[in-house]
Amino acid sequence: MRYKIYMLSVLFFLSKFILAQTTDVVTGYVHNEDGIPLGDATVQVGNYGTTALSNGYFSLKNIPTGKHILVVSAVGYTAFQDTIVKLAQENLALQIRLSKDDKVLQEVTVLGKSETQQAKEQTVRAVVVDTRAVSTQATTLTDLMNRSTGVRIRQNGGLGGRPEISINGFQGKAIKYFKDGIPLDYMGDGYNIASLPLEALERIEVYKGVLPVSLGADALGGAVNLVSAKRRGSHMHTFYEIGSFNTHRLGVTAAHETKDQKWSYGTELFFNHSDNDYNAFVGVRNPNTANLEYMDMRMFHNAFQHSYGEAYVNIQNRNWADELRLSVAAFALEREQQHPALMTDPYGAILGKQQTVAPSLRYKKKLLDGRLSIDQFASYNNLQTRRIDTLMGSYDWYGEFTPKTTPGESRLPSLSKIHERQTVLRTNIGYQINSSTSLGFNYIFTDVRRDGEDPYGQRLQDTDIDVLSLESTYQKQIYGLSLDKYWLDEKLHNQLMGKFYHYSASGIQNTWFSTGVTEADKRRLSGNYWGIAEALRYRLTPSAFIRGSLEYTYRLPEREELFGNNIFVVPNFELNPEKSFNASLGYQQVIGGRLTVEANGFYRRTKGLILLVPIQAPNAQYQNQENVKGFGFDLDLNYHFATHYTLSGNATWQNLRLFGITDETDRWKNNARLRNTPYFFANAGIQSNHSAILSQNDNLKVFVHYNFLREFYLETIRKDLEPGGFLGLSGQANINSNLRIPNQHLLNAGFTYKLPSGDVNIGAEIRNMLNKNLYDYYRVQRPGRSFHLKLSYTLAKGG
Amino acid sequence: MKPLKLKTGIIALTIGVLFAGCSDNDGPTPDPDESQESKYVLITMSDNVNTKPGYATAFDELPSGNVINNGNNSLQGLGFGGWRPYGNWLFKMFSTDANALGIERLEVNADGKVTPGQFIAGDNTTNGTGNFVIVDETKGYYWDGASPLKIQVFNPTTLSRTGDIDLAEAVNERGADEPEILYRAIGQKFLSVKNGKLFANITYATSDGTQKGFWDDFYPDVYIAVIDIATSKHEKTIKIKDTGAITYINDNNMYDFDTNGDLYIVTQGVHPRGTGGKSKIVRIKANETDIDSDWSLDMDAITGEGPRKFVSVFAKDGKIITLIPNASLTGGPTGNINFEDVWEYFSIDIASKERTKIGGVPVVTNPGAAFCAIEIDNKILLRVNTKDGSSNGYFEYNPSTNSATELFKVTSGGSVSGLHKVKVGN
Repeated sequence: MRYKIYMLSVLFFLSKFILAQTTDVVTGYVHNEDGIPLGDATVQVGNYGTTALSNGYFSLKNIPTGKHILVVSAVGYTAFQDTIVKLAQENLALQIRLSKDDKVLQEVTVLGKSETQQAKEQTVRAVVVDTRAVSTQATTLTDLMNRSTGVRIRQNGGLGGRPEISINGFQGKAIKYFKDGIPLDYMGDGYNIASLPLEALERIEVYKGVLPVSLGADALGGAVNLVSAKRRGSHMHTFYEIGSFNTHRLGVTAAHETKDQKWSYGTELFFNHSDNDYNAFVGVRNPNTANLEYMDMRMFHNAFQHSYGEAYVNIQNRNWADELRLSVAAFALEREQQHPALMTDPYGAILGKQQTVAPSLRYKKKLLDGRLSIDQFASYNNLQTRRIDTLMGSYDWYGEFTPKTTPGESRLPSLSKIHERQTVLRTNIGYQINSSTSLGFNYIFTDVRRDGEDPYGQRLQDTDIDVLSLESTYQKQIYGLSLDKYWLDEKLHNQLMGKFYHYSASGIQNTWFSTGVTEADKRRLSGNYWGIAEALRYRLTPSAFIRGSLEYTYRLPEREELFGNNIFVVPNFELNPEKSFNASLGYQQVIGGRLTVEANGFYRRTKGLILLVPIQAPNAQYQNQENVKGFGFDLDLNYHFATHYTLSGNATWQNLRLFGITDETDRWKNNARLRNTPYFFANAGIQSNHSAILSQNDNLKVFVHYNFLREFYLETIRKDLEPGGFLGLSGQANINSNLRIPNQHLLNAGFTYKLPSGDVNIGAEIRNMLNKNLYDYYRVQRPGRSFHLKLSYTLAKGG
Repeated sequence: MKPLKLKTGIIALTIGVLFAGCSDNDGPTPDPDESQESKYVLITMSDNVNTKPGYATAFDELPSGNVINNGNNSLQGLGFGGWRPYGNWLFKMFSTDANALGIERLEVNADGKVTPGQFIAGDNTTNGTGNFVIVDETKGYYWDGASPLKIQVFNPTTLSRTGDIDLAEAVNERGADEPEILYRAIGQKFLSVKNGKLFANITYATSDGTQKGFWDDFYPDVYIAVIDIATSKHEKTIKIKDTGAITYINDNNMYDFDTNGDLYIVTQGVHPRGTGGKSKIVRIKANETDIDSDWSLDMDAITGEGPRKFVSVFAKDGKIITLIPNASLTGGPTGNINFEDVWEYFSIDIASKERTKIGGVPVVTNPGAAFCAIEIDNKILLRVNTKDGSSNGYFEYNPSTNSATELFKVTSGGSVSGLHKVKVGN
């Protein structure tokens, strides 16, 4: 009998049903040659054994790193035996096909690939940030993502500052966020990369350009899928991080799975606090002369506090459900606001608050011998957002208070409470037509109804009706259909996707206009749009492949873009969808098992780009701005050398320029770079990994990471004044301007030490070692040098 | 504006000297022995957003033909909607760095480099902060929203605050017990100096929020306090009857002095969104301190139905040049008030009020913070910007024919917002 064993070739939807996601797990499926699952097959890895489920799935936990003997047997089939290699920090996902006809054991080298690696090799390209591999580091998700190819996180301020990801020059709402494939809008600011600890996630998948249809979204520029860490077995993990600026982050995760794997339950609790009281270089008003004197001042009202908790129960491995997950997630956050969009004025009392309790239900089931998969999600929550600015006075940068007769430190006195009642439904259906062809269907329904109150807010003209009390509605439906096909012994993979978008919204246009709002300001709008995408991957050799994609898509105005956020972003119901044609081409190869090279290029042509534009200080408004076209490249290298060392580096250059401006006043902007968008950034890092430092079983990892961000410009500058040299990388733009964000250098270094017991990890990091002035978001300064220490302790672990 | 008119007691020669060699913020260093040259500084706004990004460029000659205003020698910054020149000084009410409210002076050196100079900062949350008027090279007045019932005193040479005048008593002469008046201020929107008197509007506003003091007037009349400059004492309060709101303040101060010293003041009308209705141009004669009750230009008497208003005024030799909308005005992001071609240039004879449309000039957009007309080298120049950008520069006005011809067009840098001639040291 001949046994054929090979790696999963990354059928994307399949990966969603691989449950085991800890790093000591071997999972897989056992089929016969016709693709029929072999239930009750026995799978043995070393001393660990299990039986495959009816769908052929098996999972083995606590598999130590190293070589193991793999034995697979089933009634009617001859037992198979081979050696596999389990790498550290990686799960193995295997697909085993058995044939009765063959009598001879075939010697096959089994190469295990982690789910993270599989995600990296999808036909639809994803930059994968392996959070689990570095979870013991005292670092942040935003820093981790900034080290990734072609990804730029621009974060306003310190811990908890709102992050905005930029992918291929797309940013803002062009980028969509998901948690395990579910759109995350309903969680507000409570579940994002700015506040989540590394422990919360298994990995982050950053899609650049085309999205898989399972991520049902109208994103133009890509998406970020936060893949949560699923806890298997009995497990309890806790961590605590202390850092500069009175930063404290702590959390507990715990899970238990019954022996028969019919039930599991668990919880995650995270807490973040930082005073964010770092120094910033600001203009301080001299009380006598009224002149500004620039100096370093400590931020005194910049704290962030966030608590997040989730509890869940899984009913699993039943006849009627592979998994039924009942979950309740809740969070509360409070954010002090030190200054308006620019660091022009110090505030001492303005607060933003947000909270919700979000129950959800998720059901997964495979039918028809595993050919048909159903994944259904539903949730309902009331997201409550508050903004408090009622102070009868003002503060200076020294924290001194001066009373005044009118309320509010900002232009927008407020005691608002906004309710966003949200319903999210998501249906994902996959159908395996045959061994090389599958269909995918995805449907997302989002319904948001917003109202609120603000005693300081606007009233309808000549009435006492609070504008916020009028309900705004937003409804979006996205249908997606994909056809996956493999050819040429699975060397060629094709994905063809179509999407249909429908949205409708109603609300008030001029809530920011102080002088009254009338019936005429009510708006109602809706639209239907189609998008199509095609992605191809061709595997040249087992270690090299090429992939490309084409996409024509729309991006609908999001609810925050239409409604504003009642803080600084004001409504605009005149928005039109963005539309874009995107293309990408990439090549990846592993050379000699040590060097991984990945090169990618993209082209995009976007019309009606929606950008956040300041309109009336301190307000900003989303508007359809310029048309943008251009291309870009990124290069990623990873090199293992001298056993213990890994050198990594990547660079991204993008040439995104305005086009199609016919107005004679603005025609000079044609071919100018898209403003406020970095065009070159690069990362370099080295990591060493040593075992048996002080004891036989300890481990030390030391890392240094450098990040470079090329100067960019807050406002449009003429092309002929841009810096010269190769790719515009030398010197400065030939302009006389303070609106230039200069070159920035960020150097972080740290280590993690695993104690011999294996249960305790110590991580430490120095961020911004060079103590450089770093900026993001309209020159808002980021923290200087800071120190962070993290202790992680695994209390219990078992199968 | 007409910098050489000496209408407010400016001595232009002195001011010219003040600029000699000033390269830092400690004040100018006079160097009368050195010859001086003139620069013509042009500003444009590169985006129609509230941060008003734009450029300023110094030219050796009065620009002509096609002009690029965002070259490598141009200053790029924010708050470039317009400026309020004084003599040879260039002031903005918005900082170049951050569009913060206050008073900033732009410096121009002999090489033609324009740089942002000293800045007086104030309450950045209340429109009107930085509204200023200059008496002479050492004394000026401005308003700061942090102390709404005071008028601040500053030294224009050092561009530093030197003190303040508390005028709470003058403000509280009326309406002190009116519960509907939520906000009071003096000098927030109108500050002018004439014959040793400071004129400052008094705000009685029915709102205290985002735009307090603007189009939320409690009284139908506009009150203006008259303060003696020598004694800093409030002398009396005069009023412009039945007009609702005085100017919406920004760099365009919306008043001007005729050659004979008569002061002409724009009022914005009663519409709660600032689109006009009862908008006027009124007068204080040269040697008077009261509003001339016998003369006013009423927009409602000029135009047809729908709210309309005046937004700028230029007075010279008994004539007023102003813009009159050819359609009723609408506000908001899609309104026509700012960026549609609805504004037409007219010359109005002050004595007869006879108005004549100026020939050769297209219908233009709202000048906003820019002045509609200026005077340089004895030439009257009209700011002309059309929505499609086919015209974007200055036209030279010929009073004898009441027509204008294009002097130059800005082809790169944005919509034109101001032009001024300054003298710089060698």
